[in-house]
Amino acid sequence: MSRPGRDDAPDRLYTLTGGRSRSAPDTPFDLVTLVVAECDPAPGMQSEHTAILRLTERPTAVVEIAAQLRLPVSITKVLLSDLLATGRVSARHPHKAAVIDLDILEQVLVGLRNL
Amino acid sequence: MTPPIPPGERPTLRALVPVPLLTAVLSGLAVGGAVAWAPESVRSVFAWGGGVAALLLTAAVAMGVHAGQTAEILGRRLDTVAQDAGRLLHERARLAEEFSQERARLNDALIRERARLAEEFGRERAALAEEFEQERRRLTADRTRLAEEKAGLAERVRTAESERSAAIAATANAAGRMQALATGTLADLREMEERHSDENVLTDLLHLDHRTAQAGRLADSIAVLAGARSGRRWARPIPMESILRGAMGRIGGYQRVRLHSSSEAAVAGHAAEGVMHALAELLDNGANFSPPTAEVHVYVEEVPSGVIVSVEDAGLVMSDVQLRRAERAVSGEGAGLGGLSGTRLGLAVVGRLSRKHGLKVSFRPSARGGTGVLMLIPQDLLAGASAPAPTPARKGEPAPPVPAPVPTSASPAGPSYAAARAALDMDPDPVPTHESAASPDGLPSDGPPPGDRAPGDPAPGELPSGLPKRRRGHTLATAQARTRNRVTPRPATEPRRADDARTRAARFSSFRSAIRGPVPDQALVQGTATDTPAVRERVPEAVRDDAAVRDTETAREAEAARSTDPVRHDEAAASSPPRPRPQPRQQPHQQPQSQPHPEGDPTS
Repeated sequence: MSRPGRDDAPDRLYTLTGGRSRSAPDTPFDLVTLVVAECDPAPGMQSEHTAILRLTERPTAVVEIAAQLRLPVSITKVLLSDLLATGRVSARHPHKAAVIDLDILEQVLVGLRNL
Repeated sequence: MTPPIPPGERPTLRALVPVPLLTAVLSGLAVGGAVAWAPESVRSVFAWGGGVAALLLTAAVAMGVHAGQTAEILGRRLDTVAQDAGRLLHERARLAEEFSQERARLNDALIRERARLAEEFGRERAALAEEFEQERRRLTADRTRLAEEKAGLAERVRTAESERSAAIAATANAAGRMQALATGTLADLREMEERHSDENVLTDLLHLDHRTAQAGRLADSIAVLAGARSGRRWARPIPMESILRGAMGRIGGYQRVRLHSSSEAAVAGHAAEGVMHALAELLDNGANFSPPTAEVHVYVEEVPSGVIVSVEDAGLVMSDVQLRRAERAVSGEGAGLGGLSGTRLGLAVVGRLSRKHGLKVSFRPSARGGTGVLMLIPQDLLAGASAPAPTPARKGEPAPPVPAPVPTSASPAGPSYAAARAALDMDPDPVPTHESAASPDGLPSDGPPPGDRAPGDPAPGELPSGLPKRRRGHTLATAQARTRNRVTPRPATEPRRADDARTRAARFSSFRSAIRGPVPDQALVQGTATDTPAVRERVPEAVRDDAAVRDTETAREAEAARSTDPVRHDEAAASSPPRPRPQPRQQPHQQPQSQPHPEGDPTS
């Protein structure tokens, strides 16, 4: 593994968002918000936006996008807010009922132990 | 020859006449007397004879008188001439004497004058010789003094030179350490930014990050001017967008910079830092010399000789003189440190960097009202048609190396290490940069179903020669198609239900690890980093597509039942750390890899 700071990208986080580090208070994003792309990436877009649009061709949670982009969640939220403001993505919250299932919880437990 | 006798000196007629006349009278009288006396008979003869004799006598007398007078005249003239000759001789003697006297006098004068001149000359020469000697002594003294001064100056120059080189070395060293500090601080800050999810903390960290980046640029500038090697070396090509953003992040007014780049070029790792730094200085110039609210626009254009980055500001228009000065500064010709001022290091830094990397920088008035700077990044600094996906470039680790074997030459000795790994690692990249001919999921012969492809659309990447060829945009489609395929052949409801449960478990684990953030535990970070995308990619697909495809794809059930469900296999591989366990199950999938597809490779 390369040393930290040696092989990462040269662009700093604040350049991705134009200096913003927090999204507007009314944005709907939390960690599990599912994001779906509404259009294809256009040429000339910021590469993170392109990556997000490609990721969210299927509904994807904010936290997964952040992990995939290797960006902090706040930064990802700012990027998503930009895309949401221009209508390129839409956001919805996942169903709650899906989680309340003993079988699933059991599987979760198995998965956690396997970690 | 006698000179002609002048008329005055001829015997005059009056002096000649009396004597012959007298003679004629007397002889006439004598003849008359004789005739008278003589007999008659001989008188006539006598008369004639006497007459002739008298005439002859008269003529003779006349001749004699004339001769006598002529002789007398000649004698007189002879005397005169003799007197003249004597006088002339006398004169000549006198002149000769005078001449000799004059000559003697002149001789004396000459001798005296010569002596005087010689003496004068001697005096003069002595004086000159003395003067020369004095001058020479003075010059010799001067020379000695100058030699001493020269030695002193040389000593001072040597001292100054060594001091200068020591100072530059110290500066370079200090700048290098400052660079290292800044780089380390930036890395730390990045890590902290990952760790702290509080937005207030993140804001502060980003602020610090920005400040540190500017300090790092200043350290870079000093290092460049001091001749140290540039700060960082990137191990891989840096895409143009990252170059521009890296440059932008190092200046104060980065929020005023607008990037317009759709270029997919990438700058080779060894030159990326220099290019970024030079661009940062140009951007800083543009931002500083334009009004605080004006934007600085950056355009990227790919040309045959490289990539042209133009920085256009709306600030002050540079005059011709300023333009020329700036061009000279950035041409890197004035490589000396002279003329540097403390506040305007930028163009000198750009000059150094462009000379080092062969960049070409030129200035011109901008259409936006300010100044435009063009920077040509030559082709040999570009990493060719680099990996087009910006997303993998942002990741710390590149996509798993999946070689693209030619289908006809697939190794019969079994799957390569990379292919074996690829199935385990599950390329987290949604846009794979390289598609293996033998797809890693072990379903090489499936191909996308005919319904997925528009009629008439040729199989992607199929060349007449059968060699695989990557096409832009097709990789995404094929990746999706393959994912869909992989999910479709799930035969029964029961396994799918278990599968759902398992996928949800995997999802939860990724969710949990993402919430927890990049934990200091490196292994765990790695685990989440590599596992999460794999899960993410498959799970929603499975959830969404199952219902739709299950009905139409029952025909494939038999084929799918032939081998274990790849999705389950992938998830097991992704969610269970002890990886060797699924290894034996891997084998059946990889068997088909070595068999060339009859139609060539449909997925690459």
